[in-house]
Amino acid sequence: MFLCQIKHGLCPHVTRLYRQGILACSDHFKNRQFCGDKEPLISSVGSMSFVSRRFFYSSNNCWFWEKDIKSGYGSKEKHSRIQMIRDGLQELRNEIGLWKDEITEKLHCDPIVCYRPGEVDVMWKFDNPESLSRWVATSDCDHGEGFSNCNLSITSGKKCLFSGTLNTTVPKDGRIKKAGYCNMCCHRARKSFKREAYFEWNQYTHIVLRVRGDGRSYLLNLATSGYYDIMWNDVFHYVLFTRGGPYWQITKIPFSKFFLGSKGRVQDKQYPIPLNRITSLGISVGDGINGPFNLEIDYIGLEFDPTHQEKFAYEMYRTDNFIAGY
Amino acid sequence: MFISGKCVSSYRLAVTLTRCYRMCQNHVLISYHGRLNDFPVQTLVPKVAFSTEKESKELVLQDYFNSENKDKETYLCMVDMFKGRDIHRRGHVEFIYAALRHMEEFNVHKDLEVYKSLIDILPKGKFIPQNIFQAEFMHYPKQQQCAIDILEKMEDNGVIPDKETETILLNIFGRRGYPLRKYWRMMYWMPKFKNLSPWPLPNPVPSDAFELSMMAIKRISSVDVETKVAVYQAEDIPESLDKTWIISAQSPRQKELLAQNPENSPIYVEGAFRIWLRNAQVNYFILRSDYHHTYEEEKEDEDDVSRLEVPLVNQPTSKIVQAPSVHEQEDGTILAVCATGTSSRDSLLSWIRLLERDGNPSLSRMPILFTSKSPLGAVIQLEDVKAE
Repeated sequence: MFLCQIKHGLCPHVTRLYRQGILACSDHFKNRQFCGDKEPLISSVGSMSFVSRRFFYSSNNCWFWEKDIKSGYGSKEKHSRIQMIRDGLQELRNEIGLWKDEITEKLHCDPIVCYRPGEVDVMWKFDNPESLSRWVATSDCDHGEGFSNCNLSITSGKKCLFSGTLNTTVPKDGRIKKAGYCNMCCHRARKSFKREAYFEWNQYTHIVLRVRGDGRSYLLNLATSGYYDIMWNDVFHYVLFTRGGPYWQITKIPFSKFFLGSKGRVQDKQYPIPLNRITSLGISVGDGINGPFNLEIDYIGLEFDPTHQEKFAYEMYRTDNFIAGY
Repeated sequence: MFISGKCVSSYRLAVTLTRCYRMCQNHVLISYHGRLNDFPVQTLVPKVAFSTEKESKELVLQDYFNSENKDKETYLCMVDMFKGRDIHRRGHVEFIYAALRHMEEFNVHKDLEVYKSLIDILPKGKFIPQNIFQAEFMHYPKQQQCAIDILEKMEDNGVIPDKETETILLNIFGRRGYPLRKYWRMMYWMPKFKNLSPWPLPNPVPSDAFELSMMAIKRISSVDVETKVAVYQAEDIPESLDKTWIISAQSPRQKELLAQNPENSPIYVEGAFRIWLRNAQVNYFILRSDYHHTYEEEKEDEDDVSRLEVPLVNQPTSKIVQAPSVHEQEDGTILAVCATGTSSRDSLLSWIRLLERDGNPSLSRMPILFTSKSPLGAVIQLEDVKAE
C-alpha cells in the first residue's frame, strides 16, 4: 500500500529498497552477501517469525537511512583525543604542502586546453613503492568473512603486482552466504585538509590500462559516491579480461560501457557514468574460481578519442510501474 | 481393577504410539529442515519401536540425495519421486533448498533442465496474487524467496534461463511475482555479458590436458598472428627420458630475434607460469633473452628553436629503426612459448632440442639457463588457508 501511493520515482525510501536488493534481486558481481550486523541468524527457512519475513540479500538492511558511509566496515579503533590532536598536527605539514601546490597550480592558470587524440594521459604509474601509498588491497578475510588473501607490491621490473589467493569457502558463522573476493582500490580523490574532491575526467572517452594478467577476468570499479546515503555506494563496473601469458596487453575500455551497480547489484535504472563525479577507482577479482591470481599493472591512463560517439551502451527504456526499481 | 487399569494403560499406549507415529511422519519433513541447518538428522527422530513391521517400514527416513549414483539421471529421478509422492507436495520449499545444496555433488549445477525441474515443483496457480494488496506485500514470501534463490544459483553458475522458465514462473507466481522480475533482469543482463570476452572459451572447458594446453598456447600466442603452433613429440629425441607431447609456439619474427641474439648472451627457459582457462589452469614455459636496446633516443631540448627539422625537406636521418615487435618487452624478449605433458625439466630440454631442429640452428651455440621454479606466487593449499 505504501508503495502504491507513491508516484513513480519520487520516494528515496523505495529506491533504497530496490538498490539494496530487498525488493528485487538484481544481478550481483561482488559475491558478498550477508544480513546486517545486528540481525539474528534467520536466513534459514526454519524460522518464520515476523522479523524473518524480511529478505537478507544485501549487505545492510537500512530501511530509512544509513548512518555509516562504510556500512560498518570502517576501522573499529578508537583513539584518545590527545592522540588525535597529535596525529592531526603531524599531518598538518603535508596538508599545507598540498595546499601550496594547489595554490601554485591555480596561479599558473594553465589548464589542459587541448586533449590530443590518441595520447594516453597516465593517471597512475606504478614505478616506485611510494606510488602504492594511496592504494589499498582488501579481501574478505580482512573482515572475517572469508579466507581469500591478497597483496599489492612492486615487482623487480617496477610494475605493480596485485596477487593473492581466492578462496570461496564460506565461513561457518551462519551469517555469510558467499565468499571469495579480493579488491584493490585507490583512496578517494581529495584536496588539501582532507576536503573531498572528484576526478575530473569529462574530456576523456576511454580508460586505458597496460596489464599482464593470468587469464582470469577482473572487474573495474569506478566509484561515484554521491551526497545522499543511497548514492554512497554507486559504483560503475566493467570487466577487464586478461589474455594471460608473458605478454603485456593494453586494454582500452570506453566509459560508455560502464554500468551502474550499488553494493554489487546491477541497478535497474541505468545512466551514463558522470565522469566529473568519480571518487575512486578499483580493480577486484571474484570470479568464483579457487586458486592463486596475479595481475601486473604498468599504468592506468585516460584517453580522448573523438571518433567514439557512443554515450551509453545500454538501453534506457522504462519498464512498467513498480516492476523495476526507479 | 488391575486388569481394567492395564487395559486403560494399553489404550493410552496405543494412543501415544499413534501420536509418535504422526510425529515421525512430520519428522520426515523436519529432516529437511535439519539438513538445511546442518543438524544431525537422526537425533531429531525418536527411536520408537513399533509392533508391526509394516509400520516400521513406513517410518524409514527418505533421504533423497543419499544415492550412490551421483548423476543427473538420479537427481531428476529424485525430483520426480518427490513430485509423485503425494498430491499436496508438503515441504516442497524445504525439499528445493535441500536439492539446491546437493547440486554440485551430482554435477548438475550448470544444467538448465535440472533447474527447470526444480522450479516446476512449485504448484501452479496458488501463489498468483488475486488483488493489489497481495501483489504488493509479496504473496507467499517464502515460496517467492525460494524461487529467487533458485534463479540466483542459476545466475552464479552462469546458466541463462530460457523462455520455458518464464512460462513456468508465470504459471506459478503471475506477472507481479518477484521471481519474474528477477528472471527479466537476468534475461536482460546475462546475454549481454555472455560472449563479452575477446578470448572466448568453451563452457565447460575440456578436461583433457592436451586440449587445454593447446587452447592456452593459442591464447597466449594470439598476440602475434604470424605465430605457428607446433606439436612436437619428445620421442623424436632418442635421449629424452619423458616421452610426452610438447606444444610450442614461435613466430617468424621470434626466430629472427633468436638468430640475432649475441652468442655470449644467455637465453633463459623460465616457468612454470600459470594461465587460467575458466576454472582450469595450465602451466606454460617461456624461452626468454635479455632485451637488447638497439636504439637509444637522444634527449633533445624541445624549447630550442635554433635548429628546426622539417621532415618533408630534410634528408631522412639514420635515426630511423625498425619498431620493436610485441615480443621485445622491457623485461626481456620472448622467443618462444610452450606447454609440455609433464612440465618436467627433461621435457623442456627436449623442447629446446626440437626447437633447434625446427629452424633455430643458432640455439646450439648459445648458453641456455634452465630456471624452472614453482609457479608464480606462493602455493598455498586451500585446506591450510581454511585452518588459519
